[in-house]
Amino acid sequence: MVALSDTLARGAIRGTDRAVLARRVSVFLIILLVIVSLYSLTTGAAGTSAAQALATWITGGEVSLRDRVVLLDIRLPRLMMGVLVGASLAVSGALMQGLFRNPLADPGIVGISSGAGLGAITAIVLGPLLPVAFVSLLGHYLVPFAAFLGGWGTTLLLYRVATRKGRTSVATMLLAGIALAAFAAAISGILVYRADDNQLRDLTFWSMGSLAGASWSKVFTATPIIILGMAAAPFLAKGLNALALGEATAGHLGINIQLVKRIAILSVAASTGAAVAMTGGIGFIGIVVPHLLRLATGPDNRYLLPNAALLGAILLIVADMISRVIIAPAELPIGIVTAVLGSPVFLWILLRRRGVLDL
Amino acid sequence: MLYAKDITVSLGSKPVLHGITCTAAAGEVTAIVGPNGSGKTTLLRALTGDIAHGGQIALNDRDVTGMQAWQLASLRGVLPQATPLAFPFTVIEVVRMGLMAGVSAGRNHLPEQALAQVDLTGYENCFYQELSGGEQQRVQLARVLCQVWEPTLDGQSRWLFLDEPVSSLDIAHQLQVMQIARAFAEGGGGVIMVMHDLNLTAMFSDKVILMKNGRIVKTGTPVEVIANEPLSDAYGCKIDLSRPAPATAPLFHPATVSTH
Amino acid sequence: MMPKFRHAGWFVAALALTCLPVAGQDLHPFADSSRLVSIGGSLTEIIFALDEDNRLVARDQTALYPSAALNLPDVGYMRRLSPEGVLSVNPDLILTEPGSGPAETLDILAEAHVGLVQVPGDYSAEGIVNRVTSVAAALGVEDEGAALAEEIRAELDAAEAEAEALSGGNRPRVMFILSMPGGRINASGIDTRADGIIRMAGGENALPEFSQYRILSDEAIITAAPDFILMMDRSGGGDHATADEELWSHPAIALTPAAENRAVIRMDGAFLLSFGPRTADAVATLAAHLHGG
Repeated sequence: MVALSDTLARGAIRGTDRAVLARRVSVFLIILLVIVSLYSLTTGAAGTSAAQALATWITGGEVSLRDRVVLLDIRLPRLMMGVLVGASLAVSGALMQGLFRNPLADPGIVGISSGAGLGAITAIVLGPLLPVAFVSLLGHYLVPFAAFLGGWGTTLLLYRVATRKGRTSVATMLLAGIALAAFAAAISGILVYRADDNQLRDLTFWSMGSLAGASWSKVFTATPIIILGMAAAPFLAKGLNALALGEATAGHLGINIQLVKRIAILSVAASTGAAVAMTGGIGFIGIVVPHLLRLATGPDNRYLLPNAALLGAILLIVADMISRVIIAPAELPIGIVTAVLGSPVFLWILLRRRGVLDL
Repeated sequence: MLYAKDITVSLGSKPVLHGITCTAAAGEVTAIVGPNGSGKTTLLRALTGDIAHGGQIALNDRDVTGMQAWQLASLRGVLPQATPLAFPFTVIEVVRMGLMAGVSAGRNHLPEQALAQVDLTGYENCFYQELSGGEQQRVQLARVLCQVWEPTLDGQSRWLFLDEPVSSLDIAHQLQVMQIARAFAEGGGGVIMVMHDLNLTAMFSDKVILMKNGRIVKTGTPVEVIANEPLSDAYGCKIDLSRPAPATAPLFHPATVSTH
Repeated sequence: MMPKFRHAGWFVAALALTCLPVAGQDLHPFADSSRLVSIGGSLTEIIFALDEDNRLVARDQTALYPSAALNLPDVGYMRRLSPEGVLSVNPDLILTEPGSGPAETLDILAEAHVGLVQVPGDYSAEGIVNRVTSVAAALGVEDEGAALAEEIRAELDAAEAEAEALSGGNRPRVMFILSMPGGRINASGIDTRADGIIRMAGGENALPEFSQYRILSDEAIITAAPDFILMMDRSGGGDHATADEELWSHPAIALTPAAENRAVIRMDGAFLLSFGPRTADAVATLAAHLHGG
C-alpha cells in the first residue's frame, strides 16, 4: 500500500494528461517565435530600426537604400534561414533519437556531418583544381553543393550497408557510421595537409557555422528541400512512438517499421543535409531542443516534433542575434554560440540522468 | 484456428526448431511448456512473425506470410516476456499505444478499462520506467488488451500470444492475468501462451504442448500432458505427482476462481 | 594561314581577359569617399602615410600599425566579413587587399552602393609602389600619392642596393618559420610575403620547391639547410614566441647550419610582412641581420 501511494503521489505531481500541456506549449512557442522573429529584424550591428523603417514606408516616405538593404537583403533572409535551419536540426534530432531509441542521438549520427564536412573540405581545397567553367557555374554554391552531396552520399551508403533483405538494422548503421566517420576524417586529414593557409581558415569557419551567407537565392534553394524533408515528420510520429517499445512490439502494433526507418533516414538526410550545406556545422540544437521538450511535455512524438521545430527555430534566431551583436561590427560564428549555450545544458541533461536508466 | 506446419528455425547453422506442426483452436487456451532451451519462446516468436522460419502458418484460415503488419495487428496482440521502454512515457501513454492498430477510432475509454482489468487503476500518470517488473508486465498486458479488446470481431476470432505472462507477477496478479486469458478464450478468442508454471498451466489451459530440444514430445489435455512420464522425460528429473507434500514443505496450490 | 590566325585570336582574347581584373577596377576617385574602410594592414598604413586617416571609419583585424588604427572599430577577418557589420559603420568606400570575402557579403555591399576597390600588388618593391598609387588614386590624392610613391621607391631602392652591397654577392639561405604546432615546422615556400621580403633583403628562400605554407618533414628541413631561421616576434607568448631552446632542440633543425651558429632572426610580424610604407626599413633591418653590419 505504501508503494502504491508513493507511485500515485508521483503521478499526481506530474499532473494531468501531458497532451494538454503539450498543446499549450505549442501555442506559447508560436507566439514566442513571432516575437523573437520581429525582434531579430530590429536587432543588428547596423542599428537600423525595422519599426522606424516600417513607419516611414507606410507614411509614404523613402526608406534609405542602406536601411532597405540591411532589412530586406541581410536580416530578413537570415531570419528565414534561421527558422528553416533551426527547425530542421531540431526535428531531425528528434527523429534520430526516436529511430535509434536513444535520447543522445543527433542528426549527424547517420553520417551527415562527416559526409558534409568531407564534401566541404574537398570543395575548398580541390576547388581551384576544377575546370573554371564548372566552378563559375556554381559560384557561391560550390561548397554548399559539395557538402550536400557529401551528406547525402554518406547517408545513402550507410543505409545500404545497414539494410539487408529489406530490414534496416539501426545498430549496424550506428557502428558503420563510426567507421565511416573515421574514414572521412582520414581523407579530410590528407586534404587539410594539402591546403594552404587561406583554405584552412575557410574550412575552420565553415565548420563553425554561420548564417551570414544567407541570401534570398540560398533561402529559395534550401526551402523546398528542407520543407520536403520535414513534411514526412508528422507521419512518422506514431511509428516512432511505437518504436520506443522495441522493434518487435512496434511491428506487432501494425507499424511498418522498415518504412518508418527509411523515411526517417531520408527525411533527415534531406533537411539536415540542406541545412548543414547552407550554414556549415551548427551543433547542439538537435540534441538539446528535443530533450528539453521531453522533460517539459513528454516524449510523445506527435507533439514533440512540431514543438521541436518551433523551439529549434527560436533558439537559432536568438543565437544568431547574439552572434551578430556581441562583437559587432565583426561576427561570431553561430556554431560557437550554440556550443557555448548548448554544452552546459547538455552536461546538465547528462548529470540529471545519472542513475536513471544506466547513463 | 491457428495452424502451424513444419516450422523450422535455425540460429545461424544450428537448428533450434525441427519441423514443428501444431494447432490451436479459437475459444481455447493453449499452453506451450517445456524445459529451458526447448524452443518454447522461439516457437512463439515464429508464430508471431518476429523471426525468419521455414514452414507455413495460417491464422483464421489465412496464410500469415501474405499479410501486412497492420492486418495482423487487428487480428492478434503479442505480449513479450519483458518490454524495456526507451523514453519516459507514462503508463496511460503506453497503454494508449495499443490503440494504434486497426479499429482504434473513438475508443479512448478503452485504456482506462484495460488498466482496471489488470488492477492498475490510478497509475495512469506514473512513469512506466519507475514501475516494478511485474507492474510493467501488467501495463503491457493492458496495452495488448486495448489492441484486441473484443475476442471476436466480424465473425473472426482474435488472438492473444503471451510469452510467460505471469513469470514476474505475485500470486494474486498471476491468478488475475490467467482469468483474463480464460475470459478471452471463453469469449471466442484464441490464447496461446508460453508458460513455466505447470500448476497454473494445469488450472487454466485447455490444451498443453510439451516441448523438448526443439521438438514437440506430447500434446493433449492438461491431464494427459502434466503426468509423471511425459514430464520426467521432458524435464530430465523424476517427477511424482501423486506424492503428498511433506509436513515441513507445504505444497502451494491457490484456490481457483475460474469456471474451468 | 587560317590556324595561325585563329591562334592569334585566342591569344589576344586571353590577354584581354587577364587585363580585365585591372581594367575593371575604377581607379578614378570616388565621388564620395569620405567614410573609408580599409581591409588589409598595408592599405591602412598607406592611408595613414598619405595623411588621409581622418577619413577612416573602420579597419580589419590585420591593421595593427600605427597604433592609432587600433582605436578604429574592427570588422573582423577579411575573408569572413559580416555584411551588416560593415554597413554599420556607414562606409562609402572600401579599399581591400585581394582575397576579401565571402562573395555574398561583397554582393550585398555592392547592392547597398558601397564602393569596393580591390587594390592589386604583389610582394615586391614594385608591388608596394603600385599599392600606394592605387590607393591614392582611389582617394583622389594622386599628387600626394605620387610623392609618397617616389619616396618609398627611393627608400626601397636604397635598401635593396645596401643589401646587395652588404651581401657581397652571397645570398644566404633563409627559412621563414610561421609556427611550430605540436613540434612540427610550418614554413614558407614561394609566393608568400615572407618569401618576398627575404629576396628583397638579399637572401634566398631555403624552400623554393613549393608555394604557400607547408608542414615540413625532417628530411625536407635538413635538405633545405638554411643559414638563418626567420620568425615573427609576437610578444606575449604563443607558438610564435617559441623559445630559442625549443627551436634548436628540434632534431632536424639542430642539424642545419643555422643551428650551428644559433642564427635566428625575430622581427615584428606586421613590420616585416605588411608590404607598405615601412617595408624599406624592414628590408634594411633584415639585411643587416643577414649580412652583418
